[in-house]
This record gives sequence, structure tokens and C-alpha cells, in this order.
Amino acid sequence: MSGLLSLRPERLRELSLFAVMAVAVFIFSLLIDNYIGGSFFNRVTTSVAITAVLAAGQTLVILTRNIDLSVGSIVGVTAYVTGEYLHNHPDLAPVLAVGYAVAIGAGLGLLNGVLVAYAKVPAIIVTLGTLAIYRTWLINHSDSRTITSDGLPDWVVELPNSTIVSFGDFDIRTVVAGSIALIVVLQLMLGGLKWGRWVYAVGSNPDAARQAALPVRRVILGVFVASGALAGLAGFLFLSRFGTITVNAGNGLELQSVAAAVVGGVNIFGGAGTLVGAFLGAVLINLLDQSLLRVPGLSEFWRDAVLGTLIITAVAVDFLLGKRLGRLSTSARGRRATGVPPPGQGASSDA
Amino acid sequence: MRDKALRWRWELFLAVVLVAVFIVNINISEFYLGEQNFINMFQLSIEKVIVVVIMTFVIVNGEIDLSVASVMAFSACVLAALHQGGTVPFELAVVIALLAGTFAGALQGAFVAFMGLPSLVVTLAGLIGFRGAGRILVEDNSIGDFPEWFETLGQEPLIGRFSFALIFFLVLIVVAGIVLHRTAFGRSLFVIGNNANVARYSGVNVSRDKMMIMTASGFFAGLAGILFASRLGSVRGDLALGFELDIITMVLLGGVSIFGGSGTMVGVALAILIVLNIRNGLGLANIDQNTQTGVIGVLLILSVLVPNLVARLAGSLRVARTAERGPPAPGGPKEGGDTARQEADLRPTQG
Amino acid sequence: MNPDGSLRKRRFEGGWRGIAWILAALMVALMLAAAGCGDDDDDEAPADSGGAADTSSGGAGGVVTPEPGQEFRSVFIPKQTGIAVFEQANNGAQEAARELQVDEPEFLGPSSPENCVSGQIDTVTNAGTQGVNGIMISNCAGDQVEPAARQAADAGATVVSWDSPIPSGEGESVFISQVDFDETGKVMADLALEILGEQGGEYAILSAAPDAANQNAWIKAHEEAIKDPKYSNLKLVDTVYGNDDSEKSYDEALGLVDKHPNLKLIMAPTTVGIAAAAKAMTDEGLCDKVKVSGLGLPDEMKEYTLSGCAPKFALWSFTDLGYLAFFTAYGIATDQVEAEEGAKFEAGRLGEMTIEKDPTRENGLRVLMGPFTVYDESNVEGG
Repeated sequence: MSGLLSLRPERLRELSLFAVMAVAVFIFSLLIDNYIGGSFFNRVTTSVAITAVLAAGQTLVILTRNIDLSVGSIVGVTAYVTGEYLHNHPDLAPVLAVGYAVAIGAGLGLLNGVLVAYAKVPAIIVTLGTLAIYRTWLINHSDSRTITSDGLPDWVVELPNSTIVSFGDFDIRTVVAGSIALIVVLQLMLGGLKWGRWVYAVGSNPDAARQAALPVRRVILGVFVASGALAGLAGFLFLSRFGTITVNAGNGLELQSVAAAVVGGVNIFGGAGTLVGAFLGAVLINLLDQSLLRVPGLSEFWRDAVLGTLIITAVAVDFLLGKRLGRLSTSARGRRATGVPPPGQGASSDA
Repeated sequence: MRDKALRWRWELFLAVVLVAVFIVNINISEFYLGEQNFINMFQLSIEKVIVVVIMTFVIVNGEIDLSVASVMAFSACVLAALHQGGTVPFELAVVIALLAGTFAGALQGAFVAFMGLPSLVVTLAGLIGFRGAGRILVEDNSIGDFPEWFETLGQEPLIGRFSFALIFFLVLIVVAGIVLHRTAFGRSLFVIGNNANVARYSGVNVSRDKMMIMTASGFFAGLAGILFASRLGSVRGDLALGFELDIITMVLLGGVSIFGGSGTMVGVALAILIVLNIRNGLGLANIDQNTQTGVIGVLLILSVLVPNLVARLAGSLRVARTAERGPPAPGGPKEGGDTARQEADLRPTQG
Repeated sequence: MNPDGSLRKRRFEGGWRGIAWILAALMVALMLAAAGCGDDDDDEAPADSGGAADTSSGGAGGVVTPEPGQEFRSVFIPKQTGIAVFEQANNGAQEAARELQVDEPEFLGPSSPENCVSGQIDTVTNAGTQGVNGIMISNCAGDQVEPAARQAADAGATVVSWDSPIPSGEGESVFISQVDFDETGKVMADLALEILGEQGGEYAILSAAPDAANQNAWIKAHEEAIKDPKYSNLKLVDTVYGNDDSEKSYDEALGLVDKHPNLKLIMAPTTVGIAAAAKAMTDEGLCDKVKVSGLGLPDEMKEYTLSGCAPKFALWSFTDLGYLAFFTAYGIATDQVEAEEGAKFEAGRLGEMTIEKDPTRENGLRVLMGPFTVYDESNVEGG
């Protein structure tokens, strides 16, 4: 137990998420035939890829005590516009195509960032505004046309299918591997680079960060650009997954990304949380959603209610667990450090 | 306090915008000026604006309630299901539906007030869960055929051209303004929103107040849902879908700080007038809803951007003038405002 | 007390507040006053159709050819703007307007699926305020649009629904039915039979939103149709809702396959659903096992039909639908066509149309446009 308590709080949070997932998988495997099998694994992993990328971007923003509600519209715009571009330039190299989407997303995120960081407009206001503005632009630009998959190059349409390696029925698809690799790289950067530490600093105490002469505005600008760029990438994945893109593409994805982040233990008030946690949050929500879809006898109409209940349960359990373990861990560390029991639990920090 | 002065500048900005919208509307459509039209303008969105009033309290208190639209639907669905079941007299069904909404608010309030979970997360789960609960009751049916008094209440005017809902709203907003600004309870909400810990040490019962506000939010959302059912004449599972965004936009446009602790009912009233007038005026000029949404998005951002810039300009002018005059005598007026919030700007911003 | 310790009232501290209050009060007063002076809608007479109403009114017998050129201001309301099928319908309506030498309709409607109900109610109410002559609506609000439609009709507008009716039949003059809704059920059954063959098999329906009136009507009709012994080998095992959302439809399609291992066909009477299901089957390499059919747009389904994933599907012309809706609305609004059972009129290039009692609803009249077009690899590229 003491080994467990020597872990940092974030690791504990992530472990508790794993625990919740394991319990869920166990329960569902009793309800659903062939649950623990390759095909379900593939379903969940491919549908998680898009949400995971968005959750990563959202986490970066939330860490700085902001929020980005425009990601759904950014996904819609980039998916549509990239699809259009590929229609007209079908020989575009894959790297450039992805880069195109990412660049557009980054540009849209840049506008968000400038308004938040430099014009001092609160993030929720800016991104509520751009949520509407970007979608309005898309509808006007589209002229009611739908992007259809037959106009897209083959490699785009087949991307969701392509697999890097298979273990029997369990495929590790390209998009899944790519997303995971991206998250890992970002997490390492966040943890290891000084820029990463600045993100946490700005989120936990903006005033102190400012007084410590950190480039607060540039950090905030940076996370919004990153969020936009990641949303652009998600838009590309969206395009390749669905092929048919209308002006409604990406509707509602912003709430999903926030849900994934908070379920994953990212503190909505900033300064705490990890990308890995957000990824696990995305996986958990997706897992619950996809599992409920397959429970025999569970009517369509019960699913959302059950999903809402499960989310609040997961968050509450995770929160309490984290608090309890965090308190024990702090006191355990206190005991180890001084060799004397700490003066009671009252002074323990709030989670 | 500079804070207060800047806030009134916000309301001045809103008032100016309202005048501008009014003038534009008169010029773009001959149908705008008409008593019936003004009544329509309110009646078409009356349920939304009732919830806007209560959402003001929630946000001033430092919380947020994303589930309001879903609770509206939930209450309406309870009413419809009971009505269809036929065993409960309709009047009792209305009471039960109101209780259902109140319960929804209380349940979420308990998580927020007593467990300390962030309201964004709890009400996000509520957004999903309560709409789902409504779906369980109503499935894919459209339930109508309400008693005549009920439909008349919603669709026919009660006094003059004013419907019951409109009269209720006018009374509500005045009463709410008084409660928010002139009672001790209202003041305690501001204090809690400003800094819950400080409030707690000052003897304010934070948990109880938060619980009350979240429960009230559920109650009024339930009431709005029932009024909506009476106006529409029937209930479906998709009632009030997506309303929460519009509601929050109106509150934020009204100058209520998303971080809690500041805002005025006058500002919110002005924001309501602005949004309703824009939608109505542009609609009568046959400008499509897509554009209307975009305009409101731009307005939302400008509503913070412009006062910020003006304040910045005024500030730098003042600095320039002070520099000319030389440093102030000790004990003279200081820049920087009060220590309680440490903001240099209209809003506590990041970076 | 001021920050510098003094108690003197800072200049203009109450001043700004006062200004805001005064302005707000002025605004409200101004609005009420202007409302009093402004033209009230009740005083506005609906724009009269100037032309001579000399044409033989429809009753059993005379086929009316609507005379062009009469005053007709109208609004064409889709379920959502920015969606291809509704744009096509609008093009049809505009074509009709040009042919009839009247103003093209205003194309107004909700800009997002969530906002459909309140967006349409708002648009219909505003149209009534403007005293338009005609409202043509593809209704997504079920009976909830009824009060607004009635209000507009009282103000003189002719309300005509197309693609999706007002279920109760109240508030609308007539419903332009692209195909017979009961027939849709049978067409879906026939498609299933053709694809699954004599030995039949398990299949499931992937619909749009659970509240979509037209899909619900079609599904109900379909469930009735398959009671015929001809279809006895067809086993409908599930009905799920994709909400006309690509992601949800995609997930639901895969969910169906997982829940029902012997599933052989997914029938999706929604263009979003059928495209998403086809992509899902293609992505997972399931096309050999599970086919996809339903109502689809040839443009979007081309690839999947040629690949064999969606060998056959059906649709109708949205352009023709909008065209017919406009002709009908014009005819009724200008008092040249009676909105009653048995009335016949010429609808331009679509020929003779009849208003009849709608057999698929309890109340309501309809104009039946015409048959389905069934697409397969032979004609999907031309479609």
C-alpha cells in the first residue's frame, strides 16, 4: 500500500481510471457476448482516436484555466475545407494534406488565442463566439454542397481501415497508433520541457506566473494554437472516417472533449491534470457509450440516461478516491520525511 | 471602486448596442414596429429568457448549469408521460413535473454543494442524463392533447396581449433583480462567487446557498419546460434541444462574469433585449438564421472587447496625463483597485 | 470609502449607472410608443391576389391551369439550411417561380439540427407577421408548429407542407407528398427482398431522429407491409436511431452488426444514415456480409453502389418536390385552386396533379408527386 501511496496524485488518478475501466469491462463482459474480443476492441479504438486528439487539445487549454468551446466548429471547418481541397487536388501528398488541415485549425485557434491572451476576453466568451462564427462561415462557404467520399483520394478513404500490426483479431490501426503516439509525445513535452511547466504554472496561479516573469500571454496563445491545430488534425481524421461531410460536421464535439478531459482528472480550474488522464477519460467515455450500444435488451432510449449516470459516478468515485489516496499519500510522505506523524489530517490540502 | 465603474461602462455599451439594433431593425423591415411583433419577439423565446434570469444567479454564485435545457425537457416529459398514463389528474401531474425539475436541480446541487464536485462536470453529466431520462418516458412519441386550459394558458394572451408566461417573466425579472442586488442573500451570492473560502470564513453557509441556487435552477427550468409544453401543445424528447448555449450566451453578454462574483440584472435584461431584437429584426428582414447566429457571436466577443479596449485607452491616457503632471503625492489615488480581486481589467483574465 | 481613504463621492460613480438605467427605460418606452404608432398586423390586410379568379375551381372535373403573374410573396422553409437535398428543393421552387413569373421564395430556416423546432416556429411566425401569401415548409416540428401555422394562416398565408407534413393536418392546406408514405414501407420491403433474396434473413433499420415524422411514418408502414406472406422470410430484428448525425449513424451501424451476428442488411431511410452505414461496412470490410440499402442520394452513394456495398437504394427528386410545392402553394394562395378533395390542377412540367385525402394520416389532404426512382449500378452515376 505504501508503494501505491508513494506515487504522485496524477498517477493515482490515472490508476483509478484504469480501475474503473477494468470494472466496467468486467461487468459488460457478463452482459454482452463476444465482448472481450478483437472486433469490439477495434470499434472502441477507432472511434476514440478522434475524441482523444480533441481531448488532448482541450486539456492543454484547460490546464491554463481556460476552455475551448470552438473545437467542434473547427473540426467541421477543417474537415470540409480539406475535403474540398483534396477534391480539387487529388494528388496532394498525404503529409501536405494533413498539414493543410492542421494549419487551418492552428489559424482558427490563433484567433482564439489572440483574443484571450492579448485582448483579455475570457475564453468562454471568445470560444462561444467563435463556435458560432466559424460554423456560420462554414454554412455560407459550403453553398449547401456535401463533400462526398468518391471525390476523395483512396488513401484518405482507406485510412481508417489501415492497420499497422495485428495480434490475431486485435488490430492496431494506423490512426489509433498515431493518436497514441501523439499523446505520448505531447505528454513528454508537457512534462519535460520548460514550456510544459509554464502551462501548469499559468493555470495554477496566473498572477504569480506573471510576477515570476513567465511569458504568460505567449503560453496562453500557444495552447489555443495547439488546441486549434489538434482540432484540425481531428478534422482530417473525421474526413477520412466518415467521407461524407456536411455543414453539420463536428457538431457537439466540444462537449465531448471537455467531458473526456474532466473524467480524465483534468482540474477544470486549471493547473492539474495530464494528457494521459484525458486520453483515459476519452477511452472510458467511449467505452461506456459503445458498450451500452451493444447491451442486448437495453432500449435505445435508456442509453443516454445510463451514460449520464455512469459519467457522474465515474467522476465522483475518481474524485473521492483521489482525495482519499491523496490525503493518505501526503501524510505517508510526511511521516517518511520527518519520521514523525504529521499533526493530524485537518491541514491536508484540498484535492 | 474602479470595478463598479467599469461594469457600468459595460451596461452603457449594451444600451448603445440596443439603440443601434433598434435603429437598424426599423430601417430594414417595415414589419418591425408593431405591438404584436414585440409581443411575439418575447413569446417565441419566453421559456429561454425565464431560465436566463435564474442562470444569472447560478453564474454570479460561481457555478454553471449546463443541464437547464435537459431539465426543461425532463419536466415536460414527466408531465406528458403522466398525462398519457391517465391515472393522475392533470393538475397533479403539473405539480409532479415541477417537483421532478426541482429534484433534478437538487440532485446536481448535492454533488456540487456537498461533495465539492465542479458544477461544470456535474451539470454536463446532467445535460446527458436528464435528457435521456426524458427519452425513457416519452420514447419516440409526440404526446399532446393537453386539457384546454393548459393550451390556452400557453397560446392565448392572458391580459391584453400578454400571455401568462410573459407576465410571469416580467414579474420574475424585477423580483430577481431586487433579490440579487438588494437582499443579504443576493449579496452573499456575490461574495461566494468572488471567493468561496473567504465567504465561508465570513460565516456564510456556502453549501446551503449553493444547494439552494442549484435547486432553484432545476425548479425554474422545470417550470420553463412546462410552460414550453403548453405553448407548443405537445411534448417530444427533443424539446429545448441545445438551448443551454443561447441561455449562457445571453447571461455572459449581460456582463455577468463567468468566474462569479459580479454582474447585474440590468445588464442581463439589456442582453436579453439585444438578442431577441437581433433575431426578430433580422428575421423579419429575411436574413437567415445562420447569419443571425454569427452576428450574435461577434457581438458577444465585441461586448467584452470594446469595453476592454476603451478601458485600456482611458487607462493609458490617464497614465500619460499623470506622467505629465509628475508623480502623485503620497496618499493620493492609487491605480490598481482593491486587493480582494487584484485585477487590472474588467474581468479576471488569464495572462 | 474610496481606495485613497476619502469619503467624497467619486465623480460620476452613480452617473454611469444612472445613464444606463435611463437609457434602458428610454428604450422600453420608445419601443412601446413606437409599437403604438406602428402598423399593427391586425390592420394589415393580406396582400390580395390581384388577378381575376375566373378559372374553374377544382371540383370533380375541371383541371385548373394556374395563371401566372399574380402577386405572391412566399417563404420556403427547409428542415435545415446548408443541406444539399433542401437546396435542391429550393432550386425547384425557384424554377417554378420563374415559370409562374412571380417573385422567388425567400429560403429561410434553421441553421442547425438542434434548433430545428424553435427555428421553424420562429420563421413561420415572422412570415405571418410579414403577411406573406405562401409558406412552404418541410416540417420537423411535428404538431408543435401548428399554433404558429394557424396564426400565419389567419394573417392570410397559405400554408403548404412538403416532404414532412404537419401530422394532425391542422394549420396546413395540403401536404405535398413526394411518394406515398405507405408505399415507402413497401418499397423498403421490396428492396430488402431483392437484396436478401428468397431465403430472406435478418435485417435492421437505421433511422434518423426518433422524432422524425416522415421516417416514423415510413417505418410504421414498413412494419405493416412485411406482414404480407411474400416477405415472410424477412426478419426485422432491430430499429436504431442515428439522429442524422454521421458519427452516431456510423456507430449505430457497427453496433447493429455486433449485436446481431447474422445480420445481412441495414436499411436506412435517411440519406445521412445510409451513407454513414455504407462507409462503416466498407471500413470494416463487412460489405460481403452486410449490405446497405434505403433512401440515398446517388451522388453520395455512387461509390458504394459500384463497390457492391449498397447495390440498390431509392429516392425521389427533391427538385421536383420543391417545384410542385411552389405550384400548389401559388395555386391555392391565388384562389385558383381549391384546397379540397378532388381538385385537379396543372403543375407545369409535372403535368396534372390531384388533391386527395391523405390515406396515411387521420386528417389532411395531400398531393402525391410520384413514384420512386430505384438506383443501382446501372443508373447511379447519372442520378
